[in-house]
Amino acid sequence: MITEIVAQLDNAVSTLQTLLYVDVVQPIFFKVGLMGYDEDTYDALYWVIIGALEILLTFAVLRPLEALRPIETWQDRKAVRADVIYTWIAKLGIINLAFFFLLQPVFNHWQSLIAIYDIPNIDIDSVWPGVTDQPVVSFLIYLVILDFAGYWYHRWQHRFGVWWELHAVHHSQQQMSLWADDRNHFLDDIIQAAFFAAISLFIGVQPSQFVVLVAVGNVLQSIQHVNAHLPVVPYLDRLLVSPTFHRRHHAIGYGHEGTRYGCNFGVLFPWWDVLFKTAAWNRATEPTGIRDQLPAPEGLGRNYGHGVLAQQWHAFGRIARRLRRSTSSA
Amino acid sequence: MLDSGEAQLTLIDEAKRKVLGTQPTGKEPHHLMITPDGNSLIVADSVSNDLIFVDPHSGKVQKRVEDIEDPYQLGFSPDHKWFVTAGLRLDRVDIYRYDGHDLTLAKRVPLAKTPSHMTFSSDASTVFVTLQDSGELAAIDLATQTVKWKMPVGNTPAGLWMTPGDRDLLVGMTGEDDVAVVDWHKQQVVKRIQTGKGAHNFRNLDDGKHVAVTNRVASTISILDYTTLQKVGDIDGLLPGPDDMELSADRKTLWVMFRFARHVGVIDLTSRKLIDTIEVGRSPHGLYFADRAPVYAPNPD
Repeated sequence: MITEIVAQLDNAVSTLQTLLYVDVVQPIFFKVGLMGYDEDTYDALYWVIIGALEILLTFAVLRPLEALRPIETWQDRKAVRADVIYTWIAKLGIINLAFFFLLQPVFNHWQSLIAIYDIPNIDIDSVWPGVTDQPVVSFLIYLVILDFAGYWYHRWQHRFGVWWELHAVHHSQQQMSLWADDRNHFLDDIIQAAFFAAISLFIGVQPSQFVVLVAVGNVLQSIQHVNAHLPVVPYLDRLLVSPTFHRRHHAIGYGHEGTRYGCNFGVLFPWWDVLFKTAAWNRATEPTGIRDQLPAPEGLGRNYGHGVLAQQWHAFGRIARRLRRSTSSA
Repeated sequence: MLDSGEAQLTLIDEAKRKVLGTQPTGKEPHHLMITPDGNSLIVADSVSNDLIFVDPHSGKVQKRVEDIEDPYQLGFSPDHKWFVTAGLRLDRVDIYRYDGHDLTLAKRVPLAKTPSHMTFSSDASTVFVTLQDSGELAAIDLATQTVKWKMPVGNTPAGLWMTPGDRDLLVGMTGEDDVAVVDWHKQQVVKRIQTGKGAHNFRNLDDGKHVAVTNRVASTISILDYTTLQKVGDIDGLLPGPDDMELSADRKTLWVMFRFARHVGVIDLTSRKLIDTIEVGRSPHGLYFADRAPVYAPNPD
């Protein structure tokens, strides 16, 4: 039944994809001489539509909950505006586009080298014929593997200073909402895309399954950041990262303190935090953000920027200062 | 036929025009080709970097040949001594020696940018390759596996078709609305035949006179008279993105893949009308009939 529902949704998106492509995008590409990207653009449009539908769906479901059952009540929603822009940029695939142009040739070359030098890779589909080549089974295996990788990627974002300064763009949110998930430094987004593309290449993720994997991950991560009390389903928070669990990760002084310590790094599943002893189940609501954002005496009143461009630029400033400090102390 | 976006081979009952079933292939299978002995159909998985040999009637897998890098397009030379793959993604043409059974890599030839389609000279001395992103046509000497020449042909060249007697090369200009006629002996574009926007790939109609060319943007098929190098008609009313074609053994129907519509179309060549469509998977690309009208050598199957 799930397969049938996915197939119907896929058909609907594909119909829209074809209409948009043939009537809008392809004529423009033909006119400006970009027909070399004909097929890639058609394929990318599928992602754009999926992204737009994700935004509409999460907004339709989560925004009323934020209004009716907020965890925090805010004076205004100005700080969320930048997050809305980040969400559209990310979900419409603009980051993926950058990845495609910047790193795809490098990945193609690597793939070439893997074959030439017989570097072994794992094709999960063929590990246990009859079992792992079933779409549902391989999908779940890919999901667990990529989430495990995501846990460590997230820990490293907090562990290494320069990387943390990029990730701090995400943590500088003091108003977490359904829009918060995609506020990231674009450079970090591209590194992350390369990281997961490399793993997907290594374990042989099918393109059609990759679409569903990313879509499922995006929806769940939007839910994790929502500013709403969601209905409690027993044990569900032990299976999937809940908003409470993830809000603790964003809590100043509890969930993270720059590179010094942190908890609840899990992306979709909290199991990795349990396994590696970084889980914190405390449900108390704490202010979110970064300590040095706070006014003195609690913090330094550091400005992380209010708009998208300022937030991106400030990250480079912090990186430069951090590198200067480490050079002078060496 | 191949659903390149779904990594599967779809078997269709040609007479009933019904899908019989599907079976998995490697990732992004784009083109397929019969072996010279007719015993196997080769499916080229461009992202999995391998070839699958299947039974041309049942589609049953016979063997898998790994480490064939990015085989986007493939072709046997007319003397069956060479097997060539165009690596669209890797900017490379790989040339293999073929002994009737095994493939042995002779040389990987770097060839930017985006080599996509190919054809051969009748004496099997040369393979011609279109370079989609650099707008060029390249000629590679098979004996030495070296690039003999490259020449500009226009925006986004794709399908290639050698006219009988090796007189001219026809090049489908996907970035334009024409087929370029190339006198390859002189390395000159001698004519442009207006077809439709996005001219892409060819299929001879086996009547001694005509070849069909798909127009990917216009969503039409143009019929060219290759003896006079004139367009003699168009087939319209098609679904979006017509791409590869195949001709039935009785020469009555032309089948075409609609790349952007997840369907295969059946065209009656007498009325030149689309008479049926069959729903298939995502991004349908290459197709082959177990019983088909012949493809003119030296053009690859």
